[in-house]
Amino acid sequence: MQKKFEIKDLITVGVFTALYFVLTFIVACLGFIPIFMAIMPLIAPILVGIPLMLYFSKVKHFGMVLITSVIIAILMFVTGHPYPIFIFCIGAGLLTELVLFLGKYESIKACVIGSSTFSLWILGMTIAFFFSFRESYFASLVDGYGQEYVDKMMSYTPTWMFFAMIAMCLVGGLLGGLLGAGVLKKHFKKAGMV
Amino acid sequence: MDIGLQLTTEKTGLKIDPRTKIMILITVGIIMMSGKLTGVEYILRIICTFVPFVLLLSVRQFKSAFGYLFILLCVELCEGFIVPKTQGVLNLVIMIICGIISRFGPSYLCGWYVVKSTSVSEFVTAMDKMYFPKVITIPMSVMFRYFPTLKEEYSSIHDAMKMRGIGKTVKNPFVYIEYILVPIMMSTVQIANDLSAASLTKGLGAHKKRTHICDVRMKVFDVMLIVVLIAMLVIFFIF
Repeated sequence: MQKKFEIKDLITVGVFTALYFVLTFIVACLGFIPIFMAIMPLIAPILVGIPLMLYFSKVKHFGMVLITSVIIAILMFVTGHPYPIFIFCIGAGLLTELVLFLGKYESIKACVIGSSTFSLWILGMTIAFFFSFRESYFASLVDGYGQEYVDKMMSYTPTWMFFAMIAMCLVGGLLGGLLGAGVLKKHFKKAGMV
Repeated sequence: MDIGLQLTTEKTGLKIDPRTKIMILITVGIIMMSGKLTGVEYILRIICTFVPFVLLLSVRQFKSAFGYLFILLCVELCEGFIVPKTQGVLNLVIMIICGIISRFGPSYLCGWYVVKSTSVSEFVTAMDKMYFPKVITIPMSVMFRYFPTLKEEYSSIHDAMKMRGIGKTVKNPFVYIEYILVPIMMSTVQIANDLSAASLTKGLGAHKKRTHICDVRMKVFDVMLIVVLIAMLVIFFIF
């Protein structure tokens, strides 16, 4: 386990965060269709789990995943998501750091679990539908999107849905992680890139 | 409108400070993403629609500027006048299409403008002046440089697949994703290695304060712009 934080690590962070962000953004755009919004926390982690596993295999010490989560939070905030995104992103980042640390940054199992915990930041994008944010958010949507759309959206997101979304994130992340581990084994081990 | 090389400074004409550009991006992002369609906010949205148009004109992208303006005005008018008059599925379909274009279009183009008109060194200098920590600015500048590359990689992979006659024949979405993602990930690792070698030559690894050669300063124009943008945000949040 290396201790020192090098410039090479920062560049790895940048490149992989870019890839991760683009993939997430593509899936998040689908979220405009009401039914996709509800299952987005399941689909997104499965797809992005693949590059995420490659990224985790490059992570060798504390801090890199945290930086990724902070950058994602900043970018999401700039593109118009509400502030709780910061809490969720940084929380998920720290949790993942802990998981990876317990796996000594080597174990593949820890990486798969890390992929699952890291996906929890997606809740930050959907938090606006729930709890104290719900009323004001939907009230603001009525003007912009029309009653029809809001009714559809509301019917897909009762409060229990939030807890279902937590489960979806975890399961999706787990599936994505396993898928990623499979892809790594199939393509990258052979090429000696991991 | 290709995402490729940086526009040179002679071509960009209007020079805006990177910090102002980021402010523009945030303002347009916030107002377009959560904007309503009534009263003051509708007016703010219309103003924001014109922002990318002006920015594109300033970098001499006339064709895409007018194309963008035409599409966005259609969409805005659609949202303002046609959506309230329709019902049922039609309403939902128009709403979703218009919603995606009007929410992401301006932000996307602003982002495109910022990436295209700001050189990496300008960005890093501006961030340094704001006392942003290095651990955030370096990955972010790498990201800015990497987004265009990612698009290039994707289109070359797409071409390569077409040439070999795969692509449309792949029915399984997982296999398709694998075909696209694996080469992209391979090149990502490669690019990360290349960039770290390049950064070592540029002395990024040295633990000393770096000096900057490019001229990044807030001018009167920048200050005026920022005041206007903040005023817009204030109006947006109060009403």
